[in-house]
Amino acid sequence: MSEHLLEVSDLRVTMQRRGVPITPVDGVSLTLDRGEILGIAGESGSGKTLTLRAILGLLPRGGVAEGDLRFASDGGRPAPYVPTDVHGHGISIVFQEPMTALNPTMRVGDLIAEGPRIHQGMNKADARARAIELMRLVGIPTPERRARMWPHQLSGGLRQRVMVATALSTEPKLVLCDEPTTALDVSVQDQILGLLQDLRMRFDMAIIFVSHDIAVLGELCDRLAIMYAGQIVEIGPTDDVISRPNHPYTAALMASVPSFQGTSEELQGIPGHPPDPAAFASGCRFAPRCAFAREDCKEASYELTPTSDDRATSCIHPEVLAQP
Amino acid sequence: MTALLEVQGLTVNFRIGSAMAARLRGQPPPDLKAVDNVSFEVERSESVGIVGESGCGKSTIAKAIVGLVPISAGSIELDGIPLTEKRDQATTRRIQMVFQDPGSSLNPSLTVERTLAELLRVHKIVPKDQVPERCGELMDLVELPRSLLRAYPKSLSGGQRQRVAIARALALDPEILIADEAVAALDVSVQAPILNLFNSLRRDLGLTLLFISHDLAVVRHVCDRVVVVYLGTAMEDGPTEQIFNDPRHPYTRALMAAAPKFGVKKEPGKSALTGEPPSALDLPSGCRFRTRCPLAQDICAETEPDLVESETDAEHLVACHFGWTEAPA
Repeated sequence: MSEHLLEVSDLRVTMQRRGVPITPVDGVSLTLDRGEILGIAGESGSGKTLTLRAILGLLPRGGVAEGDLRFASDGGRPAPYVPTDVHGHGISIVFQEPMTALNPTMRVGDLIAEGPRIHQGMNKADARARAIELMRLVGIPTPERRARMWPHQLSGGLRQRVMVATALSTEPKLVLCDEPTTALDVSVQDQILGLLQDLRMRFDMAIIFVSHDIAVLGELCDRLAIMYAGQIVEIGPTDDVISRPNHPYTAALMASVPSFQGTSEELQGIPGHPPDPAAFASGCRFAPRCAFAREDCKEASYELTPTSDDRATSCIHPEVLAQP
Repeated sequence: MTALLEVQGLTVNFRIGSAMAARLRGQPPPDLKAVDNVSFEVERSESVGIVGESGCGKSTIAKAIVGLVPISAGSIELDGIPLTEKRDQATTRRIQMVFQDPGSSLNPSLTVERTLAELLRVHKIVPKDQVPERCGELMDLVELPRSLLRAYPKSLSGGQRQRVAIARALALDPEILIADEAVAALDVSVQAPILNLFNSLRRDLGLTLLFISHDLAVVRHVCDRVVVVYLGTAMEDGPTEQIFNDPRHPYTRALMAAAPKFGVKKEPGKSALTGEPPSALDLPSGCRFRTRCPLAQDICAETEPDLVESETDAEHLVACHFGWTEAPA
């Protein structure tokens, strides 16, 4: 088996809410290979964004991450790293809102050139040339002219391309994407997804893509992790997870997605709402909403158990989903 | 059968910039055509979807129908009676709207019960002594427990808030419910039961639904008919099944190709739809889609195509020179 690029084990994020400690991310473990696209799906509040931010040490104030993070920064074996040290040196991030994430007081070209100047010690002229080259790479028309523009002068799609260019400016091995297409129209979203896939091919870049949109994840990702209440409940190759879920939560989630083919079937939905981190159920956290919950689910301790070479589930009764 | 709602040549202009400055320069005052000559009909109990990219004017169409923005030209008729921006209470009641973000469209200082009761009292929907009972019935209708009547919006989840927003719209016994991106902000597990709720309200109350969304899969699930809008103008109008199975306008086709499809394997980034819509202030001549259209010919730059029906199917209309014929190669 090849060496992983990133290894996260037992990641825990603790935060204070009005003096009470809560653990919105509770024991996330995952690995990522070079050039792989991993999707993380989950509802709002499932901890997917915090997981992503913990990898880069970008937690909100008061957030503390514990756990073992290893990253192969120089092409060798994954080694422990300090999250803030990999900024500009191997890992970068693309945020959801290109309007708020781009500094409005800097011209687009300077924004993109900032990374190479700070992290790679490039001089001003070289960094500017690099910025224009990157803008061309991400498909921004007339980059020389646009490099002198301010973020507010660009459309949403172009701003997101600028953000991707910024993320690429330091030649990362891993790009973290936090719902980068949620605020965009389908046509622009499609272009950005195509761009990400194209960049992965060309630079053997790995991507972790966080989204609540299963249709988008299904299109883009090699592997898919499903998060619920701060834990990964299922992980495996995207097509398998979508078409043959091994966790009742995954199954319920898939039954909620309206199909493009259009069927007259009722959408299923999931009764109740996602639990608050202050009140996670003991045992299986999905059990209170699960149609298949049994007595022993209430005592089941969390463990991601492999069901085959490349799949794992935290459900202790995955056989309930077996098709007759 | 005459239509319940008939929109004829609807145009909405927004004044932008300074009219004074324009006059000094000797130019006409600058107007942005948010909606440009849109016509469609909605029959009773029908569910019509309006889809398009952001900025195409779909929300403005909705706002014009409920009377939240003034109409610059054209007409909106409800049962043959023209509607203007100024409406009496009885007319207002007949068309109600649900907005995208229930967090900001509900009054945070009112409990759910007061939100609903206020409407019932002001519009004298039921006698005073029956107001509490009617509030309870409305909660039943949107499948919320009556105990939440005493709750404030901030203590409700996103899905519950959106149900309250729907209950508020239903409080006035409307004939037409306009949902403007009503499920866009919700997680799929919460979105699914709300979509089912819209379907059951139509079935049980005979409600007419105008459903505005950018999400094609959602529209397919809820709507009988779809109007595709691009830069303020209708490009295609037809039964949902036909629009999805046999889109005739190149824009509709491109939109379908770009949408991520749950359960269908497709490569992203292969859609014909490149670039972004041109500015509404500087529309291309002729057909406004021609700058992004793979089929564009000389004629497209010269004349703007009308919305024409198919020879075989009067229900299906397309505004493209090559909608019903093949484009010359």
